[in-house]
Amino acid sequence: MKDLIEQVVSAWRPRDLDGGVRAHPSWYDLDEAQREEAFEETVRQRTIEAGLDAEGLSGTAHAVLARIQGIRRP
Amino acid sequence: MDLDRHLPEIASGDAAAFGRWLSGAEPRLRGGLRPFATSVDTEAVLQEALLRTWNVAPRVQPDGRPDALLRLAARIARNLALSELRRARVEPTEVQRLERLADQELEQRTEPDPLLRRLIHRCREALPAQPRRAIALRVDACGGVSDTELAERAGMSLNTFLQNVRRARLLLVECLARGGFAWEAP
Repeated sequence: MKDLIEQVVSAWRPRDLDGGVRAHPSWYDLDEAQREEAFEETVRQRTIEAGLDAEGLSGTAHAVLARIQGIRRP
Repeated sequence: MDLDRHLPEIASGDAAAFGRWLSGAEPRLRGGLRPFATSVDTEAVLQEALLRTWNVAPRVQPDGRPDALLRLAARIARNLALSELRRARVEPTEVQRLERLADQELEQRTEPDPLLRRLIHRCREALPAQPRRAIALRVDACGGVSDTELAERAGMSLNTFLQNVRRARLLLVECLARGGFAWEAP
């Protein structure tokens, strides 16, 4: 079960056909306590990612920037 | 410090300026989604909210209060989370309860601490080889690569890769605590 939590802690998320960000498939397999644990571990993971990044950006920020640099504003 | 100092550049389409805004905004927005943590995948909601914030940023008008873009992003994120709850047919009374919790003011957070950054780098240097390699792959992937693919790149089974990432984070958290860093209470 810890492996499922660890997958949810990742900033990687699948996209739907319209390009929208979808929930991680493993998130649905977690119970309430595990979802809370995944949230708190994500907070720590993003802090560490930002601290290791030259520009202070987390995996979430990089994922979003990669998306906006690949699409035009409507 | 008011994150709206980046707004003119963001509005003109400067993605790097949006990145600078993100480094200050993301922790506060994530904290605002904490009430929804057991009901929706907050990481997905947050990323979608940030993409939508980028799209509407050129139309944001400062209202005399600080952090207009941050407050807008928080509303977008909250509404996305509520929409997900309704789609999942969560009990209306529970939706209302979470809505009230999410209406509380955004947490005030300080800018990233350069001392913390140095401490994180020092702690990473002390990690054993396998956890260090695994978390480096996770960080370098920037959310663009699934763990299945990262495990293949590392030459590890998915299970081993995930265990190494987790071990690395636990060791880093312990090392940061020994260095005097106190994680904010949930």
